[in-house]
Amino acid sequence: MEEPVVNTRAARWGSYIVAFLITALIFATALYASNYFNNRRIADVQATQDNISIDILSLETQFELLAEHSCRDISENSVLSNEIRPLAQRLSYLETQPGVDQNELERLKRYYTLLQIKDLLLMQQVSKKCDLTPVFILYFYSNKGDCKDCEQQGYILTGLSEKYPKLRIYSFDYNLGLAALQTLIDINEVRNAPPALVINDQTYYGLKNMEDIARVLPELLTLETASSTAATSTEQ
Amino acid sequence: MGVATFITYGFLFISLYVEVFLLLSYLQNSFRISAPIAPKKPNRYPSVAVVVPCYNEEKSVVGTMRSLLALDYPADLLEILVVDDGSTDSTLLALEEFKSDPRVRIFSKENGGKHTAMNLALQNTNAELIGCLDADSVVAQEALLRIVPVFENDKISAVTPGIHVRDPQTMLQHMQHVEYRLSIFNRFIFAVLGSVFITPGPFSFFRAHVVRELGGWKYAHSTEDMEMALRMQGAGHLIANAPQAVVHTSTPRNISALFRQRVRWTYGWLRNAIDYRHMFGNSSYGNLGLIVLPSAIFSIAAGIYFFLRILANAILAARDEIARIYFSGVYVPHGQFEIFYVNTSAMIFLVMVSIGLILVLICAGSLIGTGSRRPPAATPLFMIFYSFLVPIWLGVAVLRAVFNTGVRWR
Repeated sequence: MEEPVVNTRAARWGSYIVAFLITALIFATALYASNYFNNRRIADVQATQDNISIDILSLETQFELLAEHSCRDISENSVLSNEIRPLAQRLSYLETQPGVDQNELERLKRYYTLLQIKDLLLMQQVSKKCDLTPVFILYFYSNKGDCKDCEQQGYILTGLSEKYPKLRIYSFDYNLGLAALQTLIDINEVRNAPPALVINDQTYYGLKNMEDIARVLPELLTLETASSTAATSTEQ
Repeated sequence: MGVATFITYGFLFISLYVEVFLLLSYLQNSFRISAPIAPKKPNRYPSVAVVVPCYNEEKSVVGTMRSLLALDYPADLLEILVVDDGSTDSTLLALEEFKSDPRVRIFSKENGGKHTAMNLALQNTNAELIGCLDADSVVAQEALLRIVPVFENDKISAVTPGIHVRDPQTMLQHMQHVEYRLSIFNRFIFAVLGSVFITPGPFSFFRAHVVRELGGWKYAHSTEDMEMALRMQGAGHLIANAPQAVVHTSTPRNISALFRQRVRWTYGWLRNAIDYRHMFGNSSYGNLGLIVLPSAIFSIAAGIYFFLRILANAILAARDEIARIYFSGVYVPHGQFEIFYVNTSAMIFLVMVSIGLILVLICAGSLIGTGSRRPPAATPLFMIFYSFLVPIWLGVAVLRAVFNTGVRWR
């Protein structure tokens, strides 16, 4: 150490300003990078939704051809089952992330809701035509902070869908303000009192646990459970 | 943007700003760092007194004394004043073997604290320079020859050394070894900025007449080394750093000892900060008043804030997870790794940059202290565990400082 100390402690305004500019640059870069990756996520979700849309269109086309063909090629789970759940999870994740374009996210949620309604209608049509017995639940929730049980109801339905992978659960934000969703709400006469479950054309309000749901949806027991599916897969 | 997010970004910005400023100052002065070469001989050898205050140091004082007696310095200009501060163990007995050395004088007094031991030595020496070596530390043979030439600059009134951890053995000591490298950097850069605010116990030296003019050492909330530095700064004295004056100091072996030591340090620093609050933000103290002192206080606030925020988030996440398992009846693992769910928030980027900068500062500390940029092997452990340990003792010290509870040495 030749010169261990500078003979002054005078303020270094030049260094203060340069350090401020560098820090601001680091902040700007971090915000830009975060925004870039959020946009990539949005694009990813969009692509998934487009794929689902194509799948639905494909099944609709398939359905129109049924007059000439048998139901053999169509099963209840040929649409959405692979991609709808991860998509819902991804949308939920994006909702929790700061910096995500809220308008874009709202648009994706509307699109997702429409896809669910289309899938629901198509499934009902296919079931009627092909004599299938789909087991499904419509779940109406609210994100406005006026539904203290919605989070718990969501956990219970997640548990059910984990236990019965072939159970279809359609989740709708009651307050989304989408015309098609409003029509669905009106048809099922769902009041603004979420959580609300529509099971076999009957609407139930308030928190329902797994036993409650199994009681009003006895068809649940006809579905394969995750453990039996896993056992079958293992045997294969 | 919520209030919590705004505060977090505010803390992050200031933390990054301080790191960038220190790094910038370092880069502007890196030419001052030279490879360890033979110490420069002083033009004149001043008389030097080294004070060894002891309180129940029977196990370590012999090593300390042997290292002092092995110092490269003219014997007739070096005196070692050992002050036994009312030890209740065999410290005095352990010192017997050094009585015959003409450089050594041993004093014994009632226990009164380290500052009283230092003042007793100050009264009993005519040496031009006076320094201290805690009885749990040892010095390198050439350490004094690294310090004395710095005093050839008349404007400098005190010089601090480069402090390293002595023989680290436990995991905790290895982590402190990393921390001390960071301290070597801080001590160097604060000296460069004319803003040293601690003259640590192990081997800091002072012009004796300056210490007398300032009134000697004070109790200063059990941190007389901080108070003396602040008092010197207040009187316009410059404090330099000689990082190649190597001192090895014993560090706590376990968590409880480390915790006690750090609560005492932080408590003392906070209480001294209150006593010297007129310096904070005061441009007449230059970098010290505008950047260094405010950032030292800020780092305590930021450490506690980030810890509480992480703790709160962890508790909320655990609560949600428990609720999820309870209501769903199944444990759903979070699944395999998916790029989609990698956290890419701006906050994560900023935290990573901040951690990266700390790593750079540790490397710089290693370069300044050892001549090699390689950080100690325990650096990753230090980064992880200290993040959780430090805020706890900071929090306890803040509470004690607020209620002015006082602290004990041991």
